Formats: sequence, structure tokens, C-alpha cells
Amino acid sequence: MKLKQIIESLQVEMMTESADLEAEITGVYIGDLLSLVMAKAKQGDLWITIQTHLNVIAVVDLLDLGAVLVAEGVDIEEETLAKANSLNIPILRSRLSAYDLAKKLSQLGL
Amino acid sequence: MKELSLHILDIVQNSIQAKASHIEIFIEEDLSINRLRISIKDDGIGMDQDTLQKVIDPFFTSRTTRKVGLGIPFFKEAAESCGGFFVIKSELNQGTYIEAVFQHNHIDRVPIGKIHDTIMVILHSDQQFDLTYRHRYNQKEFKLDTIEIKSILETEDLRSPDILIWIKEYIHENINELKES
Repeated sequence: MKLKQIIESLQVEMMTESADLEAEITGVYIGDLLSLVMAKAKQGDLWITIQTHLNVIAVVDLLDLGAVLVAEGVDIEEETLAKANSLNIPILRSRLSAYDLAKKLSQLGL
Repeated sequence: MKELSLHILDIVQNSIQAKASHIEIFIEEDLSINRLRISIKDDGIGMDQDTLQKVIDPFFTSRTTRKVGLGIPFFKEAAESCGGFFVIKSELNQGTYIEAVFQHNHIDRVPIGKIHDTIMVILHSDQQFDLTYRHRYNQKEFKLDTIEIKSILETEDLRSPDILIWIKEYIHENINELKES
């Protein structure tokens, strides 16, 4: 599924500028413990988390994840957004919980 | 990481790679001031000031195979997200000192975990080095020193299954005792 379909259907905020909206999202992973995400998430996944530290971007870069979806509307550090922009990593944000987001993504067929 | 002992393992592996001949791990739990401090000190090759600035950056690693090295950034983040702080000091050809301080009862602080397993894995390394592990819990302290163990056992090499398993159980029992009374 294309990233732009997810953005439109879930009505999430796009927090970064330079993302490729045609990028293909192939799965979803939910987690806040970065070391576990590093071990379990797969390339192309949309990663739902409430972590916003710069280390999040390092994990996305390392695993080549599709995008980050920050749940619960938490604030995102400037440093994190700047690095995501420079690496063309999309960061989305929603006020919904990870569970509610997962339900919607499931309805979309992911 | 799910346990602080895994952070320790990660950091000590850096010390081993930095050709340390002596590594000191010190865990200090002081409940009267609600503080947990973990420090790791080595006498390895150390880093210049330029490299030191970079190692806390998650997009830097001394390994060329991977773009990011996350051991130090993860440890720093863990401490800072638990009302604590992180210190790293290093001198080229002198060694490196790392300290992570946590608010002991912080809800997000993960447990210290299976430190006895971590020490066993560290001692199983191919490289030769000596290790001091001290663990202080309020007023009481446990200390393990591989130099002493080597002298008692009259061996230079602790990497036999019997010795490693004995060390692991010895640590486990002593840390439990430390926290019981």
C-alpha cells in the first residue's frame, strides 16, 4: 500500500517535508523498546511508536523501515525531524493510540 | 534494551574491541538518595576528542560495515529518560570511562537483569583482559576480581565451562544476598 493512501485514510499529520508519498508500505510494527524493534521490525514496515528520540531515526535508517507513525500526539524533537528530513524518512503523527491506529490499518488491509 | 545488563554487555564489548587489558564495572544502588549508577572504565586505546563527540551520535560507528552504532546512544537515552544523566570521557591511549545514572525508582527504568550471565559472556571473550566487577547495594558491597580468581585457581585462563559457570553462580548468589538483608 502506498504511503499517501495511509496518510489520507488515517488523517494523520505529515511531520516531515521530503518524503516520497509513493513509497510502498508492506507491513506494520508496533513497539517502543528500540532494541526490540531493531530485532523484529522488517524492511518497509510502518512503525507505530511513542518514542521520538533521534535514535528512532537511526533504527529506521538501519532497517530501512517505510515510515514512522508517532501515536498519542506526542511532541517530536526538532533534531529528530531535521535528521528525518535529511534522510528522506517520513514521520507521521496522530492523536490516536497505537491500538486505534492498528485497527484502522487493519481495515485498510495492511 | 530490556535489561541494563545488556547495555553493560554492549559497552564492555567496545572496551574489549579497544584492546583493554583491565575493565572495571561498578554498579552502585543507593536507595537513600534513589540513585542507580553504572560505570564502566577501561584502559583501552581510547578516543580523540573528535571521535568522542561522534560516538554519542547514533549515526556514527567505528565499524565500517554498518552506518549506525547504537550502543552508546541507547545507553545515554535510557539514563536520560529515567531522570538521570550520562557521562563519557576518553583519552587517546589512556582509556574510556562511561557512567550512566538513573533515578532508581523511575517507572521506565528497566531492571538490571541477569548481570551474572553478562559477566560470564564477557569473560568468555577471545581476548585476554582482567575484569573487576563491583556491586554496591546501600552500605554493602560485592567484588569480583579476575586477577584474584586467577591467582587462587593458579591459571591464566578462566575460559573453561566449569570456571565460567562457577563464577556465574557465585555472582548470582552474592548479589541476591546483597539485596536480601
